[in-house]
Amino acid sequence: MTETSNGTSARRNRLLPLRAVLRPQVVLPLASLAAFLSAWEAVGRSVNPLLFAPPSRVVGAFIDLLRSGELLTATATTLNVLITGYALAILVGVPLGVVMAQARTFGALVNPYFYGIFATPRVVVVPLIIVWFGVGYTGRLFLVFLWTMIAISTTTADGVRNARPDLVEVARSYGVSQTQLVRHVLLPGAVPFVVSGLRIGAERAVVGVVIGEMFLQLTGLGGIIVVNASQFQTAHMLVGVVTIAVIGTVLIGALDLLERRFSSWKTTSN
Amino acid sequence: MTTGMLRTKRIRSRMAWVPKRRAVHHVLFALALLVVWQLFSGVVGPLFLPPVDAIAAAFFDLVVTGQLPRALGQSLVLLVVGLLAATAIGFFFGILIGRSRIAHWTLSPYFSALFVTPTVALVPLVLIWFGFGFTGRCLVVVLAAVVPILLSVSSALRDDPGELVEVAKSFGLRGELALLRHVRLRAADGKAQAAHDDRHGRAVVGMAVAETYLRLGGIGGLIRSYGSLFQTDYVFAAILPLSFLGIGLTALVGRVERRFQGWQS
Repeated sequence: MTETSNGTSARRNRLLPLRAVLRPQVVLPLASLAAFLSAWEAVGRSVNPLLFAPPSRVVGAFIDLLRSGELLTATATTLNVLITGYALAILVGVPLGVVMAQARTFGALVNPYFYGIFATPRVVVVPLIIVWFGVGYTGRLFLVFLWTMIAISTTTADGVRNARPDLVEVARSYGVSQTQLVRHVLLPGAVPFVVSGLRIGAERAVVGVVIGEMFLQLTGLGGIIVVNASQFQTAHMLVGVVTIAVIGTVLIGALDLLERRFSSWKTTSN
Repeated sequence: MTTGMLRTKRIRSRMAWVPKRRAVHHVLFALALLVVWQLFSGVVGPLFLPPVDAIAAAFFDLVVTGQLPRALGQSLVLLVVGLLAATAIGFFFGILIGRSRIAHWTLSPYFSALFVTPTVALVPLVLIWFGFGFTGRCLVVVLAAVVPILLSVSSALRDDPGELVEVAKSFGLRGELALLRHVRLRAADGKAQAAHDDRHGRAVVGMAVAETYLRLGGIGGLIRSYGSLFQTDYVFAAILPLSFLGIGLTALVGRVERRFQGWQS
């Protein structure tokens, strides 16, 4: 008697994680992915396996690129520029945003130019960057830095401008200095805006790295894409595309979560 | 609440003289920039930074010879066709994903992946799979522009306008499609517009990317060919209209958006 009840509870315990796994939000994406990959495998093989690179070939190319060390070197090159440019953009963008919000006239004057640069597709600026910085590391860094910096500084300025006037007034009435006001009232209030700037900036940064590697200097993951595309090595090219997509997903997904956590602040501060 | 009211009051009383002064500031700042630019280009040389008058001359030349209008025309056709296709596809899948949880779980991961993958990285793939005729170039614009449209439609539809649906049902409106057309889409309209400026930016980027990659026509091709000749004055003269295109589209969308918002309330 006790043994059977023990048996059923043990079975239930074993089933519990299984049931959690079997939820539709887990099963459906996996089933859809399986269906997508097998359809691609079937179509790719029957039409032209070289050109349409079915998943099995992409996996083969992945192992190939991993063994030769090419993939790791390329990823390191890409991440180096991405992280350095992004960090520089934060270091310059946040203080500049504060200045743009504090010195209102300066902010209003600079804003349209920032906006114009931000609206200009980066691929067409590539010829100018070649002339200004050459085709090396600096040029690629600039492609990441400038556009990310603009995203971060304009959102930071928005956040500082949206500071609660009552808090500013209270702080002023206690006679705080300008730096204290920025540090203890304006910047904390601007955090949700800065975080969304970081997310938008990250999107821009990932694109900037890839543009630099595809149009300026054939290196990194963008280089893998272009070089293999010109040799019609679709499978190898797709390894580059997927790796970039993974980097983008991790970076932007993390910032997205962060932004969602801070967005409740945004509504209360308004 | 009170602070907000106070603020609008203050802004309104300032309204009368602020725009005029601000315009003067902007003009002066632009003139100062141009002067600095001109002086700086004298220092670093015309290849590094072409002087303002050379850019103006290049712009005039591009317009008179018809190169710029022709390229701009080609680009605009690509942009409009691509945007229309992206809007149609985005609305279709956006409605599907917004209304059906099954569609949400099976389809949205692909669109999220597409969203974070830079469009440039997909261009060689499109080239190999679809060629670089008009179809291939359109596809690049669609790939760039479709996800923001889809996301704004689906997220707007997910917030169910429950009361409106109830009212419509009590007036005898039946069927998911009819409800979709008459109630849900209209209720969502204001929100669906909200993400549009991002979407137009992305469409312009897709257009430029498609044209630049193979130097095939359009304004992207024009810039690429002058760039490879290191004629920076012509490069600048051709980039400026593209920047204005991006800004103009966003302004246009902002105006449409405001109209829809007025309509909604």
